[in-house]
Amino acid sequence: MKGKILGIFGVLVVLCTCLAFATSDPWWNLGTSKFLQPGNIQNLLNRLSLFGILGIGVAFVIITSGIDLSIGSSVCLCGVLLSILLKVDYQPLEPISVSQIVAAEKMIIADAAAGELRPGTTFRYTGGVGSGLVLTTESSAISDGALRIRIKENLTRNEKDGRLVVASPVTRIETGDSVVAEVSSDLNVNVGDQLQLVKADGAVTTQKVSSVETAGTVKRLTLARDPGEKYRADAFAIVLQRHQRTSIPVAILIVLLVATVLGLVHGLLVTKVKLQPFVVTLCALLIYRGVSRWLTNDNPAGFGELQEVLGPVASGRVGLLFRGQEMVFGIPIPFFLLTAIGVVASVFLGRTIWGRYLLALGRSEEAARFSGINTGRITLMAYVICTVLAALGGMLFALDSTSVSPSSFGNSYELYAIAAAVLGGCSLRGGEGSILGVVIGTAVMQVLNNLITLLKLPQQHETTIIGAVILIGVIADEIVRRTAARRRLKQSISG
Amino acid sequence: MVTTSLPTPRLEVRDITKSFPGVKALKGVSLRVMPGEVFSVVGENGAGKSTLMKILAGVQSQDGGQILVDGQEKRFGSVSDAMSNGIAIIHQELNLADNLEIGANIFLGREPRTLGLINNNRINQDAEKLLDRIGLKVSPRMLVKELTVGQQQMVEIAKALSINARVLIMDEPTSSLSAGESAKLFQVIRDLRAAGVSIVYISHRLAEVQDLSDRVTVLRDGENAGELVRGEVTHDSLVRLMVGRDISRFFVRNPHKKGDVAIEVKNVVTATWPKHRLNLNVRAGEIVGVAGLVGAGRTEMLRTLFGVDAPVSGVIEVGGKPVDLKSPQQAIAAGVALVPEDRKQQGVVLDMVIRQNIGLASLHQHSRLGGFLNFAVEKQQSAEMSQRLRVKAPHDQYRVGNLSGGNQQKVVLGKWLALKPRVLLLDEPTRGIDVGAKQEIYQLMDELAGQGIAVLFVSSEMEEIIGMSDRVIVMHEGRITGELTREQLSEESVMHLATGHN
Repeated sequence: MKGKILGIFGVLVVLCTCLAFATSDPWWNLGTSKFLQPGNIQNLLNRLSLFGILGIGVAFVIITSGIDLSIGSSVCLCGVLLSILLKVDYQPLEPISVSQIVAAEKMIIADAAAGELRPGTTFRYTGGVGSGLVLTTESSAISDGALRIRIKENLTRNEKDGRLVVASPVTRIETGDSVVAEVSSDLNVNVGDQLQLVKADGAVTTQKVSSVETAGTVKRLTLARDPGEKYRADAFAIVLQRHQRTSIPVAILIVLLVATVLGLVHGLLVTKVKLQPFVVTLCALLIYRGVSRWLTNDNPAGFGELQEVLGPVASGRVGLLFRGQEMVFGIPIPFFLLTAIGVVASVFLGRTIWGRYLLALGRSEEAARFSGINTGRITLMAYVICTVLAALGGMLFALDSTSVSPSSFGNSYELYAIAAAVLGGCSLRGGEGSILGVVIGTAVMQVLNNLITLLKLPQQHETTIIGAVILIGVIADEIVRRTAARRRLKQSISG
Repeated sequence: MVTTSLPTPRLEVRDITKSFPGVKALKGVSLRVMPGEVFSVVGENGAGKSTLMKILAGVQSQDGGQILVDGQEKRFGSVSDAMSNGIAIIHQELNLADNLEIGANIFLGREPRTLGLINNNRINQDAEKLLDRIGLKVSPRMLVKELTVGQQQMVEIAKALSINARVLIMDEPTSSLSAGESAKLFQVIRDLRAAGVSIVYISHRLAEVQDLSDRVTVLRDGENAGELVRGEVTHDSLVRLMVGRDISRFFVRNPHKKGDVAIEVKNVVTATWPKHRLNLNVRAGEIVGVAGLVGAGRTEMLRTLFGVDAPVSGVIEVGGKPVDLKSPQQAIAAGVALVPEDRKQQGVVLDMVIRQNIGLASLHQHSRLGGFLNFAVEKQQSAEMSQRLRVKAPHDQYRVGNLSGGNQQKVVLGKWLALKPRVLLLDEPTRGIDVGAKQEIYQLMDELAGQGIAVLFVSSEMEEIIGMSDRVIVMHEGRITGELTREQLSEESVMHLATGHN
């Protein structure tokens, strides 16, 4: 195993060295190397971290002599799920639905549930052609089970359907050091909500409220920027309340929980129903892809305003090298995650009884079972670890790319992960593998990918090159193995 | 000169050597098989019989030495080389495609063809003639899986005859036959001998060897131990040559004080033999042998007692308390350990080192912080067991797959002894083990009994059963047909029960 890791590490070093010189101009001046540019290295480390997490996961399953083909689809499903759970929207408070507007009578007939409106209450009507009008209540009454509002303004035409939202007048807009809108203290508004400024002519602008300060009968709302001359006078405010489906920790927890359940299902189908891992996870691959597309209706999934908060987890960096205030080189945050996961996984595999059981059952399931090891439970655990790490990777991948398309996100990532694990010394026969090897294997794959970009080779050759390198790798490994076996035999004969 | 006056042997082997990782299987074996004789090869397990036969059949090639057919030196690179020289082998495990018809099996790979298509008419006609010749009265169009084991073996013989085999090697042909089927087989063997075919007969059943053979060669530890001709062949003379010393000193038994009943099996029904109830007990310090023919249900019984296959009904008590044995974990927790029959698949993890194998079953007992390996205890335990069991290896970080069978078996025992079991089950504990290691295993069994462990072992070797047991349980087709005390023990009394007589 150590020889294998050393071998693949050698390949990585040679590859990096060659690439460093090949992208320099002149070739000996490494300072000009495009490969060694901080940006490129950062990028490489970032991709290595994300794919490495998937590779570590699948290594556990491969060690049981199983396989998980569903990783790519799990990545997609979990990325999409996170996006759905974190969906944020802004809705006006208590909108009143309108059934009819009778222009001749200046009458709006609306849902009685809202209760009567005080005379003088302004509101905005949307729906139909007259959308966006700001109207004022003359009087209102409930009769025949409907709210009838007589308005002051003249209407040009009758309408059907639509809705009303109460709009309160903006008493003042300050544009000094900070932009502040002053509204009545009755207005229910919180930090994080959006403030919609509307004009009687239908013009509208929306801004986020960054602070709220109550001063007597007014509330002073800080806005991000000057809404413009137009809104300084006679504007009305509508509060759009911020609504996030779940909080960030809860969303992440739910995704990981879903992944645990999926992993358990894979594992139970393999250990209890005795289906072949290939078949189980192949079906999972198809199902999760389909479910992702169904959940999103095939629309791209993103994180909207939360991208700012969460994005750095996947694409942020911890500065290492600065030129003045500017960060020249930083370690991507996912790299710390990979390191942490890698260390934990390594310790688990090499220093705990479960790791030992995993290696033993991968080599000989029967011998392990006959030694009193609950092989079913350990195998189950491997599938859960794999899916949970795929989920973690999926969330990071989704955050890293800001918006993902459910029909293609994560496509064939499982193959990259499996290939990296195999390159890194995992045997598909089971019982063999090291976490460090998997990480180095992933690095080789990413450097190859980088090589194609930097040397401006046509992108169409990417998979050919990666495939060929893996093939050469396993052939070399097989030759080394046979030579060693032959040498052992010779020794035992002479000894 | 004497040599010129002798007829040319049909098959001659001179100084054949063959090594495998960790073991020299053949250290220069020679033998001569004359035309039209039954030549038997006997020897303990691990003496090199199977390896020699595989070399003769072209399955493996020798490291050194010569093979001569009719006085001409030959090199067999493959099974078809051996076949084209008229040598055919019938393996202990039959090599038939049981989803195909008899005729198709006989001519598998050599189908007569017309216009490139298989000529089934000719296959059936020729097969019928061959079946006739060996007295098997079934249609060549029957599927092989519909035949009994004895009939399947006849099909194998017909197959060998179809290539005009002049030397027919039979490896333990009666190991899974009933007495009647065996008698039929012996008749066929005698007929073939009369027709000039040379038979190389390998068997553990010394009575058969004595009955059939014109000459017998005995192998021991990969060498010729001696040769006997008809008239000299007796049970005692064979055993003396096989074991290389007096048998009474080979098996190590000391009288031990018997304790309470350690394991009691009451009306246990296994899934394989649902019609029979098993009842037996083993006391602390007692060694009980389980005898029977292959397929008598002995392995299934041990698997049930170890929780690999849960019992259908019945009660198993360990140390006087009923235990629920639905998994090996539960059996181990109750103090029951099993040294399984298939050592390489079930006993050891070949790709792991000695230390890891010895620790495998007891890891959890001394893990730290709820799951971290305790390397120090593992190392110390491995050192202790390696020394106590005299495991021969350069160091305990040595791959178990590279050890000899005997040392592998010691590793399996070490794994269990680290757990201090109350009941030790052994299934064919000395199969494929050389004579020296065998004796060490026997010594160990005796020692363990002396320490108060209840030992229940299954063996197909009569000497072992008779030599080691305080008491013998005999099984036949899933049923316990009888129990013999040490005084009642004899090869005859065991065979009588093993063939289904009460």
